[in-house]
Amino acid sequence: MPSYIKEFLKAEKPEGYYEALVESLHKANREYNAFNVIDENVGQSGNAMPFSTKSNICVKGVETTAGSKMLKGYIPPFNATVVERLLDSGRFAFIGETNMDEFGFGTFGVNAALPARNAFDKNYVAGGSSSGAAVATAMLKYHVALAVSTGGSISAPAALNGVVGFTPTYGTVSRYGLIDYANSLDKIGVMARNSDDARIVFDAMRGGDGKDLTCAVGNIGSKKKKKLFVIEELDRYADKTVRANFSGLLDRLSAKYDIETRNIGALDVAVEAYYILAMAEASTNLARYDGYKYGLQLKDLATRYNEFFTEARANFGEEAKRRILLGTFIRSESVKAKYYTKAARIRAIIIKRMGELLKEGFIVSPAFPMQTPKISEVERLTPVQTYATDIFTVPPNLGGFPHITFPYHYQDGMPMGAQIIGEHANDYALIDFVGEWEGEFDYRYKHNIGSL
Amino acid sequence: MKIGLEVHVALPTKSKLFCPCSLDDAEPNTNICPICMGFPGSKPMLNEAAVESALSIANALHCRINNSMSFVRKVYFYPDLPKCYQITQMDGAIGSGGYLDIDEKKVMIRRVQVEEDPAQIVREGLLTLLDFNRSGTPLVEIVTEPDIASEEELRAFIANLRSILYYIGVDINKEIKADLNVSCAETRVEVKNVTGIKSLIAALRYEVARQNALVKAGKEIARETRGYNEKKRITESLREKETEDEYGYMYEPDLTVFNISGMRYVPPVYVSKIAEELAKGSDMSPKTIKEMTMLDRNSLELITKLKGKYKMRSIIHAIQRYKKYNEDEPRQDTIEKMISLIDAGKLLAGDAVHAIKAGRSVSIEYARLNGPEIDRVILEFLKANPHVLSEYKKRSKTANLIIDKIAKAHGLHPKEVAERLALILKRHK
Repeated sequence: MPSYIKEFLKAEKPEGYYEALVESLHKANREYNAFNVIDENVGQSGNAMPFSTKSNICVKGVETTAGSKMLKGYIPPFNATVVERLLDSGRFAFIGETNMDEFGFGTFGVNAALPARNAFDKNYVAGGSSSGAAVATAMLKYHVALAVSTGGSISAPAALNGVVGFTPTYGTVSRYGLIDYANSLDKIGVMARNSDDARIVFDAMRGGDGKDLTCAVGNIGSKKKKKLFVIEELDRYADKTVRANFSGLLDRLSAKYDIETRNIGALDVAVEAYYILAMAEASTNLARYDGYKYGLQLKDLATRYNEFFTEARANFGEEAKRRILLGTFIRSESVKAKYYTKAARIRAIIIKRMGELLKEGFIVSPAFPMQTPKISEVERLTPVQTYATDIFTVPPNLGGFPHITFPYHYQDGMPMGAQIIGEHANDYALIDFVGEWEGEFDYRYKHNIGSL
Repeated sequence: MKIGLEVHVALPTKSKLFCPCSLDDAEPNTNICPICMGFPGSKPMLNEAAVESALSIANALHCRINNSMSFVRKVYFYPDLPKCYQITQMDGAIGSGGYLDIDEKKVMIRRVQVEEDPAQIVREGLLTLLDFNRSGTPLVEIVTEPDIASEEELRAFIANLRSILYYIGVDINKEIKADLNVSCAETRVEVKNVTGIKSLIAALRYEVARQNALVKAGKEIARETRGYNEKKRITESLREKETEDEYGYMYEPDLTVFNISGMRYVPPVYVSKIAEELAKGSDMSPKTIKEMTMLDRNSLELITKLKGKYKMRSIIHAIQRYKKYNEDEPRQDTIEKMISLIDAGKLLAGDAVHAIKAGRSVSIEYARLNGPEIDRVILEFLKANPHVLSEYKKRSKTANLIIDKIAKAHGLHPKEVAERLALILKRHK
């Protein structure tokens, strides 16, 4: 499948192409809420492929809120390294910032002022937390999205909107300029309409950065594997329809791969370990939002600091407050060993066991355990029920393993996605895998805004 | 009585701990960037010069140093803390389990940790202003065990620590800053942010008196944090002490585990030990040599080089004379010339020292007068200046003036004049 980026850069664009693009995007956005900011100046970079950023990636001079009221009006004085690199390449033009769950806290995209809507049917959820990035990718023909995953925020929405969602190995892409959710888990990745585009964007933004000490993975491999592992203890978490369709996929894949079922023995507590670690880190990252330095500004500076602080922090959304409270509790000395330390130990075990298995082959699973729910349906879910839907995406995120989602089936007009996990720094092998799959599968899109 | 200290030392780096901002004096809020302002999206870098400096301190304090170190976030909410957490160190600190010798005793060092300074709060009338130039200044906190048992030990600890830091190149020209923990009974009371040894001693004395009075009255000592009021010279209750629980320490994921094996550090100099060696078989006490060299590398080097070649007393006198009349540091040949003149029984005044320094020859001979002759000169002087006697009766220090004038006028050795004058003045009192 040819790269949309290469095709677009070579193609002749009609006069006023970018202006028309912005206009149609505005129109579609009123229905789908994919973008928080649309940049009218996208055409000024000359012949360049439009790219969007999730709203937690800093873009110099552009209001960057991470989807939070607390950061309303925050205009970063610097570009995130990834943005800087894409712009410097001369091949990409910034088109806007995409909608998301506040600070990345969500699986469905509904923890936002106006939830993004699924590109295939606006009554359905977009998935989260990179909700807008996925919807934008499914709507715009020539566009790539920078998205962010902490526990599955690229895989889930990419799968629910039928696009390719690639989350690189932790440490291959600089996080400088990414507004932190959980620093040891956050990864910037790509959503695109095919694997080639994901590769091009990955290559343009990856590589060591002195501004992020954790960004230190240099060489990326493309070690092909013959084996695909299905994880036994996770099997029961998928619903009936997902299981039936997924087993159809395995049948197709078995023509080229040896499929084996394995047991890791720790993945059924991965979600718990993940939320404990993520909330602990998040509660420290959100401490800085106190209503006087940036973003939300309280008018009355003459109140006592404690009262001032309390008033400012009332502006966090429901889920953010929940994670601050739980994260703060988890960090307290009296229970730290019981939760935080234990979760860190589980994480270490998972990294070790998954790492060993991934040397032999890829892990394959559905990307999401259920069919795409309606927006009205997820509003009835408890937080724990929502967290549980991360069951397939949390393990690779907890381990910092690269993973990629691709559409493999359309059920009742809605796309279904599968996820492949690879060993650390074997990212290209995953992109190659999807490239091979694309040879035998026709991606469908409902929108093709910006077609030539 | 148990005293523990948390000493804060600013490291001598050009830029901040986690960003490249300058540490030079500047207009408020001009040496700032997204990192030291804690802007969303910024991440800390790590200043290796600060790490090397901290490593030198940990090594000099005999700490256990691992191959790597890590940081933690200490979360508390205060307007001077841009991220509302301070990046500091705990279990993964650069050094732990060390000690510092004070005379016959070892004061155990629990931890040497690298951390960032918050912004500076400036109160102007009703306004509270913040200067973020200070935010991110690299500090080392030296945490002792509560091993210090008296005021004398506290003084000795600070003096020895200063000397160790001086020789590593962490010169604290500013006053030392510390938190002081004092427990006279069971309860530990923390006195925060005490600046300078004078204040430390005053705070200690006040706390000891206060706590002992409470014990005597059968009252309970509250576990609390107090502040030192420099004007009133008392400690005041600030707040109930937070327990460690409330800081919610967590591993700092942005700085990862930082490899420090193979990093450079400055080797330590322990002046107390060296002074003992130098004083062996000499005519000077280790104490004199130590006091002179604790914060003076040049003197230590000269003494070490010249030891054995000259009498220790002469070496020390020559250096002291030189330093009395000069701002700069003496060269070895100058000191040697001075020593030879001193050994020849000549006392060197300012003019002579300058002449030697400039390379001119000096010959100052003292007049050789016997006792009665000196007495006569003194009595003549007193007769000519009757007011000095009445002044002397009010202020005994006037004697020094008299000695100086007579010695100069007649080319006499001031010491001889002093001896005779003392006898005469005794009669006049």
